[in-house]
Amino acid sequence: MNKTDDLYYIEAVRKGNVAAFSALVDRYQNLVYSLALKLLKKTEEAEEMAQDTFVKAYQKLDTYEGKSKFSTWLYSITYNACISELRKRRIQFSSLEDQRISDQDEMRMHDYFSETKKEDQEKYLSIALGKLPEDDQVLVTLYYYENQSMDEISVITGLTVSNIKVKIHRARKRMYSLLHEMLHEEIYTLL
Amino acid sequence: MNKIDKQFEQLIKEISIDSPSKGFTLKVMDRIQAEAAVQKHTLLEDYQPVISKRTWIILIAAFVFMVVYVIMSSPESSTVKEPGLWSTVTGSLQKIDTKPVSNLWQTVTGMFSSIPTMAYLILTASLVLWTLDLFLTRFRHSAAKVQIS
Repeated sequence: MNKTDDLYYIEAVRKGNVAAFSALVDRYQNLVYSLALKLLKKTEEAEEMAQDTFVKAYQKLDTYEGKSKFSTWLYSITYNACISELRKRRIQFSSLEDQRISDQDEMRMHDYFSETKKEDQEKYLSIALGKLPEDDQVLVTLYYYENQSMDEISVITGLTVSNIKVKIHRARKRMYSLLHEMLHEEIYTLL
Repeated sequence: MNKIDKQFEQLIKEISIDSPSKGFTLKVMDRIQAEAAVQKHTLLEDYQPVISKRTWIILIAAFVFMVVYVIMSSPESSTVKEPGLWSTVTGSLQKIDTKPVSNLWQTVTGMFSSIPTMAYLILTASLVLWTLDLFLTRFRHSAAKVQIS
Protein backbone atom coordinates (compact mmCIF):
# COMPACT_ATOMS: atom_id res chain seq x y z
CA MET A 1 0.00 0.00 0.00
CA ASN A 2 1.38 3.38 -1.03
CA LYS A 3 2.19 5.82 1.76
CA THR A 4 0.22 8.48 -0.07
CA ASP A 5 -2.93 6.34 -0.26
CA ASP A 6 -5.84 7.29 1.96
CA LEU A 7 -6.17 3.63 2.97
CA TYR A 8 -2.63 3.60 4.34
CA TYR A 9 -3.52 6.34 6.84
CA ILE A 10 -6.97 4.86 7.55
CA GLU A 11 -5.38 1.53 8.47
CA ALA A 12 -2.79 3.30 10.64
CA VAL A 13 -5.57 5.12 12.53
CA ARG A 14 -7.50 1.89 12.96
CA LYS A 15 -4.39 0.27 14.45
CA GLY A 16 -4.28 3.02 17.08
CA ASN A 17 -2.04 5.65 15.46
CA VAL A 18 -4.38 8.61 16.01
CA ALA A 19 -1.80 11.10 14.69
CA ALA A 20 -2.04 9.50 11.22
CA PHE A 21 -5.48 11.08 10.87
CA SER A 22 -3.81 14.51 10.52
CA ALA A 23 -2.60 13.49 7.04
CA LEU A 24 -6.23 13.03 5.97
CA VAL A 25 -7.21 16.35 7.57
CA ASP A 26 -4.39 18.12 5.72
CA ARG A 27 -5.41 16.53 2.43
CA TYR A 28 -9.15 17.24 2.53
CA GLN A 29 -9.58 20.30 4.73
CA ASN A 30 -9.85 22.77 1.84
CA LEU A 31 -12.54 20.89 -0.04
CA VAL A 32 -14.54 20.04 3.10
CA TYR A 33 -14.37 23.67 4.24
CA SER A 34 -15.18 24.95 0.76
CA LEU A 35 -18.29 22.75 0.45
CA ALA A 36 -19.47 23.84 3.91
CA LEU A 37 -18.86 27.50 3.03
CA LYS A 38 -20.83 27.21 -0.22
CA LEU A 39 -23.81 25.84 1.67
CA LEU A 40 -23.65 27.75 4.95
CA LYS A 41 -22.20 31.05 3.60
CA LYS A 42 -20.57 32.16 6.88
CA THR A 43 -16.85 31.46 7.40
CA GLU A 44 -17.12 30.76 11.18
CA GLU A 45 -19.99 28.33 10.67
CA ALA A 46 -18.21 26.63 7.76
CA GLU A 47 -15.04 26.18 9.82
CA GLU A 48 -17.02 24.75 12.76
CA MET A 49 -18.84 22.42 10.39
CA ALA A 50 -15.58 21.31 8.75
CA GLN A 51 -14.12 20.50 12.19
CA ASP A 52 -17.26 18.56 13.15
CA THR A 53 -17.05 16.64 9.88
CA PHE A 54 -13.53 15.42 10.58
CA VAL A 55 -14.36 14.48 14.18
CA LYS A 56 -17.44 12.59 12.96
CA ALA A 57 -15.35 10.87 10.28
CA TYR A 58 -12.87 9.79 12.95
CA GLN A 59 -15.66 8.42 15.14
CA LYS A 60 -17.23 6.55 12.24
CA LEU A 61 -13.98 5.39 10.63
CA ASP A 62 -14.70 1.74 11.48
CA THR A 63 -17.90 1.92 9.42
CA TYR A 64 -15.99 3.04 6.29
CA GLU A 65 -15.87 -0.11 4.18
CA GLY A 66 -13.76 1.24 1.34
CA LYS A 67 -16.46 0.60 -1.29
CA SER A 68 -16.34 4.26 -2.33
CA LYS A 69 -13.43 6.72 -2.32
CA PHE A 70 -12.61 8.12 1.12
CA SER A 71 -13.19 11.61 -0.27
CA THR A 72 -16.71 10.63 -1.45
CA TRP A 73 -17.48 9.27 2.03
CA LEU A 74 -16.08 12.39 3.69
CA TYR A 75 -17.96 14.81 1.40
CA SER A 76 -21.21 12.93 2.03
CA ILE A 77 -20.74 13.50 5.80
CA THR A 78 -20.10 17.20 5.11
CA TYR A 79 -23.04 17.59 2.73
CA ASN A 80 -25.53 15.78 4.98
CA ALA A 81 -24.45 17.72 8.08
CA CYS A 82 -24.82 21.04 6.21
CA ILE A 83 -28.19 20.06 4.75
CA SER A 84 -29.58 19.06 8.16
CA GLU A 85 -28.28 22.37 9.57
CA LEU A 86 -30.04 24.28 6.76
CA ARG A 87 -33.22 22.26 7.31
CA LYS A 88 -33.22 23.35 10.94
CA ARG A 89 -33.19 26.93 9.66
CA ARG A 90 -35.85 26.01 7.08
CA ILE A 91 -33.68 27.26 4.21
CA GLN A 92 -34.58 25.83 0.81
CA PHE A 93 -32.60 26.00 -2.41
CA SER A 94 -34.00 27.66 -5.50
CA SER A 95 -33.72 25.82 -8.79
CA LEU A 96 -32.34 27.21 -12.04
CA GLU A 97 -34.44 27.69 -15.13
CA ASP A 98 -33.20 26.32 -18.46
CA GLN A 99 -30.91 28.87 -20.14
CA ARG A 100 -31.36 29.57 -23.80
CA ILE A 101 -27.69 29.24 -24.68
CA SER A 102 -26.67 26.87 -27.42
CA ASP A 103 -23.57 24.64 -27.18
CA GLN A 104 -21.94 26.77 -29.93
CA ASP A 105 -22.54 29.92 -27.85
CA GLU A 106 -20.91 28.21 -24.87
CA MET A 107 -17.83 27.33 -26.93
CA ARG A 108 -17.60 30.84 -28.35
CA MET A 109 -18.00 32.23 -24.84
CA HIS A 110 -15.23 29.97 -23.58
CA ASP A 111 -12.81 31.12 -26.30
CA TYR A 112 -13.66 34.75 -25.69
CA PHE A 113 -13.33 34.38 -21.91
CA SER A 114 -10.00 32.54 -22.23
CA GLU A 115 -8.51 35.65 -23.82
CA THR A 116 -9.17 37.82 -20.77
CA LYS A 117 -6.57 38.34 -18.04
CA LYS A 118 -5.98 35.42 -15.64
CA GLU A 119 -6.80 37.48 -12.54
CA ASP A 120 -10.00 38.78 -14.16
CA GLN A 121 -10.95 35.25 -15.15
CA GLU A 122 -10.71 34.06 -11.55
CA LYS A 123 -12.61 37.08 -10.28
CA TYR A 124 -15.51 36.70 -12.72
CA LEU A 125 -15.65 32.93 -12.28
CA SER A 126 -15.85 33.27 -8.49
CA ILE A 127 -18.66 35.85 -8.80
CA ALA A 128 -20.57 33.71 -11.31
CA LEU A 129 -20.20 30.57 -9.19
CA GLY A 130 -21.36 32.48 -6.11
CA LYS A 131 -24.53 33.53 -7.93
CA LEU A 132 -25.66 29.94 -8.45
CA PRO A 133 -28.00 28.29 -5.93
CA GLU A 134 -25.97 26.79 -3.06
CA ASP A 135 -26.52 23.13 -3.97
CA ASP A 136 -25.60 23.82 -7.61
CA GLN A 137 -22.34 25.40 -6.45
CA VAL A 138 -21.57 22.17 -4.60
CA LEU A 139 -22.39 20.05 -7.66
CA VAL A 140 -20.20 22.18 -9.93
CA THR A 141 -17.31 22.04 -7.44
CA LEU A 142 -17.57 18.29 -6.98
CA TYR A 143 -17.91 17.50 -10.67
CA TYR A 144 -15.56 19.97 -12.35
CA TYR A 145 -13.08 20.82 -9.57
CA GLU A 146 -12.92 17.58 -7.60
CA ASN A 147 -13.57 15.26 -10.59
CA GLN A 148 -16.12 13.17 -8.70
CA SER A 149 -18.24 11.06 -11.04
CA MET A 150 -22.02 11.46 -11.35
CA ASP A 151 -22.47 8.20 -9.38
CA GLU A 152 -20.18 9.44 -6.61
CA ILE A 153 -22.03 12.76 -6.46
CA SER A 154 -25.25 10.78 -6.22
CA VAL A 155 -23.82 8.96 -3.16
CA ILE A 156 -22.77 12.28 -1.61
CA THR A 157 -25.95 14.25 -2.19
CA GLY A 158 -28.61 11.54 -2.39
CA LEU A 159 -29.84 13.00 -5.70
CA THR A 160 -30.47 10.78 -8.70
CA VAL A 161 -27.84 10.70 -11.45
CA SER A 162 -30.32 12.09 -14.01
CA ASN A 163 -31.20 14.96 -11.68
CA ILE A 164 -27.49 15.72 -11.15
CA LYS A 165 -26.92 15.71 -14.93
CA VAL A 166 -29.71 18.23 -15.47
CA LYS A 167 -28.59 20.43 -12.59
CA ILE A 168 -24.94 20.49 -13.71
CA HIS A 169 -25.96 21.21 -17.31
CA ARG A 170 -28.15 24.14 -16.21
CA ALA A 171 -25.50 25.43 -13.79
CA ARG A 172 -22.84 25.45 -16.52
CA LYS A 173 -25.07 27.32 -18.95
CA ARG A 174 -26.09 29.78 -16.22
CA MET A 175 -22.44 30.45 -15.41
CA TYR A 176 -21.60 31.12 -19.07
CA SER A 177 -24.61 33.42 -19.24
CA LEU A 178 -23.44 35.31 -16.14
CA LEU A 179 -19.88 35.56 -17.49
CA HIS A 180 -21.28 36.90 -20.76
CA GLU A 181 -23.26 39.57 -18.87
CA MET A 182 -20.27 40.57 -16.76
CA LEU A 183 -17.90 40.87 -19.72
CA HIS A 184 -20.50 42.92 -21.65
CA GLU A 185 -20.89 45.26 -18.69
CA GLU A 186 -17.12 45.72 -18.51
CA ILE A 187 -16.84 46.49 -22.22
CA TYR A 188 -19.74 48.90 -21.88
CA THR A 189 -18.05 50.75 -18.98
CA LEU A 190 -14.76 50.91 -20.91
CA LEU A 191 -16.51 52.52 -23.85
CA MET B 1 -17.11 14.31 -20.36
CA ASN B 2 -17.72 16.06 -23.68
CA LYS B 3 -15.67 18.93 -25.12
CA ILE B 4 -17.80 21.68 -23.53
CA ASP B 5 -17.52 20.01 -20.13
CA LYS B 6 -13.72 19.70 -20.49
CA GLN B 7 -13.43 23.39 -21.43
CA PHE B 8 -15.58 24.36 -18.48
CA GLU B 9 -13.50 22.13 -16.17
CA GLN B 10 -10.37 24.05 -17.24
CA LEU B 11 -12.10 27.31 -16.33
CA ILE B 12 -13.38 26.10 -12.96
CA LYS B 13 -9.90 24.89 -12.01
CA GLU B 14 -8.73 28.50 -12.37
CA ILE B 15 -10.69 29.36 -9.23
CA SER B 16 -8.62 29.02 -6.10
CA ILE B 17 -10.47 26.95 -3.53
CA ASP B 18 -11.39 28.41 -0.14
CA SER B 19 -9.26 27.30 2.77
CA PRO B 20 -9.93 27.35 6.52
CA SER B 21 -7.94 29.38 9.04
CA LYS B 22 -4.33 28.55 9.91
CA GLY B 23 -3.97 25.85 12.55
CA PHE B 24 -7.12 24.10 11.37
CA THR B 25 -5.43 20.68 11.44
CA LEU B 26 -4.17 21.32 14.99
CA LYS B 27 -7.65 22.29 16.19
CA VAL B 28 -9.18 19.18 14.63
CA MET B 29 -6.44 16.93 16.00
CA ASP B 30 -6.91 18.37 19.51
CA ARG B 31 -10.57 17.39 19.37
CA ILE B 32 -9.71 13.97 17.96
CA GLN B 33 -7.06 13.29 20.65
CA ALA B 34 -9.72 14.13 23.28
CA GLU B 35 -12.13 11.80 21.50
CA ALA B 36 -9.51 9.04 21.45
CA ALA B 37 -8.93 9.52 25.20
CA VAL B 38 -12.66 9.12 25.86
CA GLN B 39 -12.73 5.95 23.74
CA LYS B 40 -9.75 4.55 25.72
CA HIS B 41 -11.50 5.41 28.97
CA THR B 42 -14.65 3.60 27.84
CA LEU B 43 -12.53 0.51 27.16
CA LEU B 44 -11.17 0.66 30.72
CA GLU B 45 -14.71 0.96 32.03
CA ASP B 46 -15.62 -2.24 30.22
CA TYR B 47 -13.04 -4.16 32.29
CA GLN B 48 -14.53 -7.24 33.96
CA PRO B 49 -12.91 -8.39 37.24
CA VAL B 50 -11.39 -11.89 37.31
CA ILE B 51 -13.16 -12.76 40.58
CA SER B 52 -16.87 -12.01 40.39
CA LYS B 53 -18.89 -10.36 43.18
CA ARG B 54 -20.64 -13.65 43.91
CA THR B 55 -17.34 -15.45 44.44
CA TRP B 56 -16.14 -12.66 46.72
CA ILE B 57 -19.32 -13.00 48.85
CA ILE B 58 -18.81 -16.77 49.15
CA LEU B 59 -15.12 -16.31 50.07
CA ILE B 60 -15.90 -13.65 52.69
CA ALA B 61 -18.72 -15.78 54.16
CA ALA B 62 -16.37 -18.77 54.41
CA PHE B 63 -13.71 -16.62 56.07
CA VAL B 64 -16.21 -15.16 58.59
CA PHE B 65 -17.49 -18.65 59.34
CA MET B 66 -13.93 -19.86 60.02
CA VAL B 67 -13.19 -16.91 62.33
CA VAL B 68 -16.44 -17.48 64.27
CA TYR B 69 -15.69 -21.16 64.50
CA VAL B 70 -12.18 -20.56 65.85
CA ILE B 71 -13.50 -18.08 68.46
CA MET B 72 -16.29 -20.38 69.58
CA SER B 73 -14.08 -23.44 69.84
CA SER B 74 -11.38 -21.73 71.93
CA PRO B 75 -10.90 -23.17 75.52
CA GLU B 76 -12.02 -19.84 77.21
CA SER B 77 -15.47 -20.02 75.66
CA SER B 78 -16.17 -23.56 76.88
CA THR B 79 -16.59 -22.65 80.61
CA VAL B 80 -20.37 -23.12 80.62
CA LYS B 81 -21.28 -25.73 83.22
CA GLU B 82 -24.58 -26.87 81.81
CA PRO B 83 -24.40 -27.96 78.15
CA GLY B 84 -26.76 -25.79 76.00
CA LEU B 85 -27.68 -26.24 72.37
CA TRP B 86 -24.61 -24.36 71.14
CA SER B 87 -22.23 -26.37 73.36
CA THR B 88 -23.94 -29.53 72.23
CA VAL B 89 -23.25 -28.54 68.64
CA THR B 90 -19.67 -27.47 69.36
CA GLY B 91 -19.21 -30.52 71.55
CA SER B 92 -20.17 -32.76 68.71
CA LEU B 93 -17.84 -30.81 66.47
CA GLN B 94 -15.02 -31.29 68.99
CA LYS B 95 -15.59 -35.01 68.77
CA ILE B 96 -14.47 -34.88 65.16
CA ASP B 97 -10.96 -36.16 64.74
CA THR B 98 -9.03 -33.00 63.85
CA LYS B 99 -5.58 -34.49 64.31
CA PRO B 100 -4.70 -34.65 60.60
CA VAL B 101 -5.85 -31.01 60.16
CA SER B 102 -3.84 -29.81 63.17
CA ASN B 103 -0.80 -31.74 61.95
CA LEU B 104 -1.13 -30.05 58.55
CA TRP B 105 -1.56 -26.67 60.25
CA GLN B 106 1.60 -27.21 62.28
CA THR B 107 3.53 -28.16 59.15
CA VAL B 108 2.33 -25.03 57.32
CA THR B 109 3.06 -22.69 60.25
CA GLY B 110 6.46 -24.37 60.56
CA MET B 111 7.12 -23.58 56.92
CA PHE B 112 6.08 -19.93 57.34
CA SER B 113 8.16 -19.47 60.49
CA SER B 114 11.25 -20.39 58.49
CA ILE B 115 10.62 -17.41 56.13
CA PRO B 116 12.59 -14.34 57.27
CA THR B 117 10.68 -11.24 58.49
CA MET B 118 12.16 -9.19 55.63
CA ALA B 119 10.21 -11.26 53.10
CA TYR B 120 6.94 -10.40 54.89
CA LEU B 121 7.90 -6.74 54.86
CA ILE B 122 8.64 -6.83 51.11
CA LEU B 123 5.33 -8.58 50.43
CA THR B 124 3.39 -6.05 52.52
CA ALA B 125 5.16 -3.11 50.85
CA SER B 126 4.39 -4.54 47.39
CA LEU B 127 0.72 -4.95 48.28
CA VAL B 128 0.57 -1.36 49.58
CA LEU B 129 2.18 -0.05 46.37
CA TRP B 130 -0.17 -2.11 44.17
CA THR B 131 -3.23 -0.80 46.06
CA LEU B 132 -1.93 2.78 45.79
CA ASP B 133 -1.36 2.33 42.05
CA LEU B 134 -4.91 1.04 41.59
CA PHE B 135 -6.31 3.99 43.50
CA LEU B 136 -4.24 6.58 41.59
CA THR B 137 -5.12 5.05 38.20
CA ARG B 138 -8.83 5.30 38.99
CA PHE B 139 -8.41 8.83 40.28
CA ARG B 140 -6.53 9.90 37.12
CA HIS B 141 -9.18 8.43 34.78
CA SER B 142 -12.07 10.07 36.60
CA ALA B 143 -10.20 13.41 36.49
CA ALA B 144 -9.60 13.01 32.73
CA LYS B 145 -13.30 12.31 32.20
CA VAL B 146 -14.27 15.48 34.05
CA GLN B 147 -11.81 17.58 32.00
CA ILE B 148 -13.09 16.21 28.68
CA SER B 149 -16.77 16.54 29.57
